[in-house]
Amino acid sequence: MATQTMPAVLPQQEASQQGDELAEADRPWVTIVWNDPVNLMSYVTHVLMKVFGYPKDKATKLMLDVHHKGKAVVSSGPRERMEGDTATLHGYGLWATIQHDS
Amino acid sequence: MNVRRKADLLRVELAEAESSLLAGLLDDFSVLLAEPDHADPVVQRLYPDGYSDDEAASAEYRELVLADLHASRTGRLQQCRAELPPGAGRISLDAEAADRWLRVLNDLRLALGTRLGVTETVELNPAEPAVAIYHWLSAVQDLLVAELMG
Repeated sequence: MATQTMPAVLPQQEASQQGDELAEADRPWVTIVWNDPVNLMSYVTHVLMKVFGYPKDKATKLMLDVHHKGKAVVSSGPRERMEGDTATLHGYGLWATIQHDS
Repeated sequence: MNVRRKADLLRVELAEAESSLLAGLLDDFSVLLAEPDHADPVVQRLYPDGYSDDEAASAEYRELVLADLHASRTGRLQQCRAELPPGAGRISLDAEAADRWLRVLNDLRLALGTRLGVTETVELNPAEPAVAIYHWLSAVQDLLVAELMG
């Protein structure tokens, strides 16, 4: 793995950086499903209903967001839970990732 | 291929050619899963990164989930292979089995689609046997989902 040279940090900047990190820890995490050319629209809807228990209309709307906008947030919460959701979706062959809510 | 819903079961009738096609696809896929080459685009598609913007977090995620994901995927494949009739025949699927078959069919589509270089815009040549198989798998999966959703 490449190493990076860290610039020297003044104490004042360090304090504000810690503040940013705290704020970052408070922001929720999200699971995102990305559009991919293989997964069928019907299958993606089925998976969202099955995995999250979403009603058909909600699952369909999320699937259409994935299809038309390229991605959709399908769940949000603590990081560990998002990693669990992502792993479940990977088990279904969906292209999902975890990220901080922006 | 004929799918009928009877009470809580999906009854899938397979012709001999369909059974043997599926058997061959599942066997090929189990060879691929037995020794996954992580440089293979199919394996990369089956096991995507957990984070799109964080290599270190993706490595941790892989460490956390990869072995389980792989064992479950292999288990589903083996169970479906065992349920497949040797020739023409019928499989009865309850909700759990139907979900498992959908996932296995999807894995086959992901593998084939990746090999064929499927994108949103590329025109696949329907005269190519692998393309015909890909479209057939898509139709089967779509049919099963439609029956499941009622």
